[in-house]
Amino acid sequence: MNYSGIVVAFKPGELQAGIQALNALPGMEVYHVDERNSRAVVVQEAASVHDEVDGMKAIKELPHVAYAAMVYHYFAEDEQIYTAFPRELEEDACSADVCVPEVLRE
Amino acid sequence: MELTRRDFLKASIAASTAATVGIPVTKEAQAAPKDVEAGWQWDKGVCRFCGTGCGIMIATKDGRVVATKGDPDAPVNRGLNCIKGYFNGKILYGKDRLTKPLLRVNAKGEFDKKGHFVPVSWERAFDEMAKQFRRAYREKGPTGVAIFGSGQYTIPEGYTSAKLMKAGFRSNNIDPNARHCMASAVAAFIQTFGIDEPAGNYDDIEYTDTVVVWGANMAEMHPILWARVSDRRLSNDNVRIVNLSTFRNRCSDIADLEIIFKPNTDLAIQNYIAREIVKRDAVNWDFVKKHCVFATGPYDIGYGMRATDKYAFPKEKDTQAKQLRVKLDKYEAIAQRRKPGEIVEQKNAKSAGKHWLITFEDFKKAVEPYTLDFVAELAKGDPDESLEDFKKKLKQLADLYIDPKRKVCSYWTMGFNQHQRGTWVNEQCYMNHLLLGKQCQPGNGAFSLTGQPSACGTAREVGTFAHRLPADMVVFNKKHRDFAEKVWKLPTGYLNPKVGSHFTKIMRDLEDGSIKWAWVQVNNPWQNTANANHWIKAAREMDNFIVVSDSYPGISAKVADLVLPTAMIFEKWGLYGNAERRTQAWREQVPPPGEAKGDLWQTMEFAKRFKLKEFWGEQPVPGLKAEGFPDGKLPDVSKQAKAMGYTGEETLFDVLFGTEENKKKYRWPDPVAKGHDNHIAKEYGWFPEKAMWHEYVTFGRGHAHDLADFDVYYRDDVRGLRWPVVKGKDGQWHETLWRFNAKYDPYVKTGDFEFYGPALKKLPSGDLDKVTDPTKKSLAGKAKIFFRPYAAPAEQPDDEYDLWLSTGRVLEHWHSGTMTRRVPELHRAVPAALIYMHPADAEKRGLKRNDLARVISRRGEVKARVETRGRNRPPKGYIFVPWFDEAVYINKVTLDTTCPISKQEDFKKCAVKVVKA
Ligand code: SF4
Repeated sequence: MNYSGIVVAFKPGELQAGIQALNALPGMEVYHVDERNSRAVVVQEAASVHDEVDGMKAIKELPHVAYAAMVYHYFAEDEQIYTAFPRELEEDACSADVCVPEVLRE
Repeated sequence: MELTRRDFLKASIAASTAATVGIPVTKEAQAAPKDVEAGWQWDKGVCRFCGTGCGIMIATKDGRVVATKGDPDAPVNRGLNCIKGYFNGKILYGKDRLTKPLLRVNAKGEFDKKGHFVPVSWERAFDEMAKQFRRAYREKGPTGVAIFGSGQYTIPEGYTSAKLMKAGFRSNNIDPNARHCMASAVAAFIQTFGIDEPAGNYDDIEYTDTVVVWGANMAEMHPILWARVSDRRLSNDNVRIVNLSTFRNRCSDIADLEIIFKPNTDLAIQNYIAREIVKRDAVNWDFVKKHCVFATGPYDIGYGMRATDKYAFPKEKDTQAKQLRVKLDKYEAIAQRRKPGEIVEQKNAKSAGKHWLITFEDFKKAVEPYTLDFVAELAKGDPDESLEDFKKKLKQLADLYIDPKRKVCSYWTMGFNQHQRGTWVNEQCYMNHLLLGKQCQPGNGAFSLTGQPSACGTAREVGTFAHRLPADMVVFNKKHRDFAEKVWKLPTGYLNPKVGSHFTKIMRDLEDGSIKWAWVQVNNPWQNTANANHWIKAAREMDNFIVVSDSYPGISAKVADLVLPTAMIFEKWGLYGNAERRTQAWREQVPPPGEAKGDLWQTMEFAKRFKLKEFWGEQPVPGLKAEGFPDGKLPDVSKQAKAMGYTGEETLFDVLFGTEENKKKYRWPDPVAKGHDNHIAKEYGWFPEKAMWHEYVTFGRGHAHDLADFDVYYRDDVRGLRWPVVKGKDGQWHETLWRFNAKYDPYVKTGDFEFYGPALKKLPSGDLDKVTDPTKKSLAGKAKIFFRPYAAPAEQPDDEYDLWLSTGRVLEHWHSGTMTRRVPELHRAVPAALIYMHPADAEKRGLKRNDLARVISRRGEVKARVETRGRNRPPKGYIFVPWFDEAVYINKVTLDTTCPISKQEDFKKCAVKVVKA
């Protein structure tokens, strides 16, 4: 899965309608809104780079949008890397009576 | 509620995106249902992590931190936080918090270096600690004991520890981990300006047209400043960003120009810019003539390694030999105006910092060899880039600096500071800014960023270094010692004039038995010091006693003999000073867990174990030679002390900290607390943080280091103040935005600019090679433009160790990971350090992405997984491995060379091989 952070600026007066339209697009979620400058941050979740590019096009084609720029791009990395939790963090070694973490016992 | 990894990822991406373009994200927090926040108490605080110094708001309920958020009123971050910043509260609640003192004992319950850790009382812990201290002190004197201090100490903590060592134990062996982080910046500030710390401030970002980043991955390491830079770039078409690095990193995403260079060749690139400035007749002569002089120093200064190979592993001996003599390669020969193959004895290894005045004509001659052709051939770091393209980029870089219509800010961190010629490369950056007169003005200036939250505020300003006293004073200057002895109410001759051991040297001293007792405070030296296999041996196999104060069991705690459970940031009162000279404060928010206590308490309690009369007699200090002192000794000052009214029976606590005056003047409770607790003051009945603060500020006031009163920093309308903070005729405290600039700095007395820093401002004169006229000339009020040549790294890839290795950090983790790895969200985001390498290099070694590989150097090896598509993209021939992960103990592999002037280690270059595991 690919994720990207996109900043979208809306035409004057189009902020609310624009946000609604954005949220209606598949894989898009609006996270932060800057009312003063009529901008928002949207996160896109897409299966491939191809879909991501299409998503960007779809945003730009919305009538409310002045500009959109991809600011943050993230390739979700392989999940197995995230399964290993360091040993010292897994064990609740600090029991009430003998507060010696396992790692300091050897 | 547990966030799923996917939720967390999305929230992180949203936050980073918002931060990058300067969209505040506090909306969400404001919109949060009010009943969730019922009973929460909000107070201002500072982020625990990087030197950016973001303001945060902390919410507590029932003695626990329940939320933190970016402080919208903080001028540094305006409500934003990076990913780490959001989790400031969570670092307190890891499952393996240390909550009781732990001592290694044998079956009989006696201390035993080979024993196992058991929980003991504080009483028993301090008894053993004091007994072992006395044993070391009796045998070795003040040089036989040491403290590894920190750039993460609060200001009162650092002051207290430095005072106990220097004004109590008469030892200068206290040195902070900031030595690994900032020392080259400091040395260059002192040599160039005569005073430490940057002239400008973060507001420069919004004034400048050009941001040049040298060896600093700001996008990950100073993310909130990078957000300000990005915002400036996105909102102004004229703004240009240049990223100079040895590998592609996230700063390149938004940079207009990316320059990938070979390790150490930043020295040559800067001289190329200087040569262009001279050649294009772009020197700002009005500025240079009024405010600058030219200077240089010796080139034969070694690499900060031991001068002997007695302790070297057999495979390290060839690298170590470079400490004594160097065979110049073809580039060094041209760069230093000598012959290729010439053998140069490194005669000035011990006098690396000396320097003298030269003429502009000599300066011009010195930069002459740094032509575009020469520098491009030497410096091009990516074998896949064409020489022509690289030349074009260098020329563009020079154009940006020189363009008279352009304001330029240069930023750097560890790429410059952790550098075998770190002081030089810092000085070269000032060289170009000074030549152009683009310094100390809004939007114009060379700005050294800091890595740690109080590298400036504590390590540097308080002076927790082996050579320093508070406010830029130094132990080897009699006037400074006199001043300190007066403030500290000590007899003349009490303070030790001999510079103590720097951080790496404390490790070496433990290894060779010259230090036998060491106390680690607020850092993790066994994980953060290069060439660690030596230091593990030193801790576990030598006859010594290592105390580690920590909140979590890191590598240092594991090699210690005694572990002291320590309060974390919001479990105590404190002040930090960030990279732009801004001092910020917070109150204790929650009590420390179990028996954990603040470092300040630990230091003061230890002082109660000693009497003044144990230290006021004669003490051996091998090699001490100073005016007014017998050779090799500190004098007996008991008579003078008695004349001052001391009996000798006072404890060091009575003399240094809990004086009658402090107890009376700084009572607890204090209205500034606004109902907050102070676990130390409550026990003492007086307010030690405030007492130490008010004593400390007497050093800097009137010396261009002025700080405001303690309570001012706690006012609701104050979000830190940038020093010098001077009280005006209106009774208000005024901060200083641009130092040395008459428009902003009250210390400028004459002219539009004045570099009034007092250090090293009388110099002899000479030519490019030596002093020719020893008469010292005063250069009061001026800055120095140094010529410094290119020098090759001490160790370079060869047939066996065929890759460069650089270490560094990642956005999600702070330093050695003891705090951030306890935050599940951060841990899951980046659970392990990876070997970032070029896909072609991986393939050549039969490796694919995610394969386990071994990284091997002359000194040690680690195992980690290979990443070929990650956020860092090294060119062929180069790998990058972050150091936060103790399971990938990369400092076993790195090389402990240092800048010979600053004594800061170089973690950015050594030679390794990578093989399939
Ligand atoms: S880690 Fe640095 S940039 Fe991130 S919130 Fe803390 S101070 Fe700010």
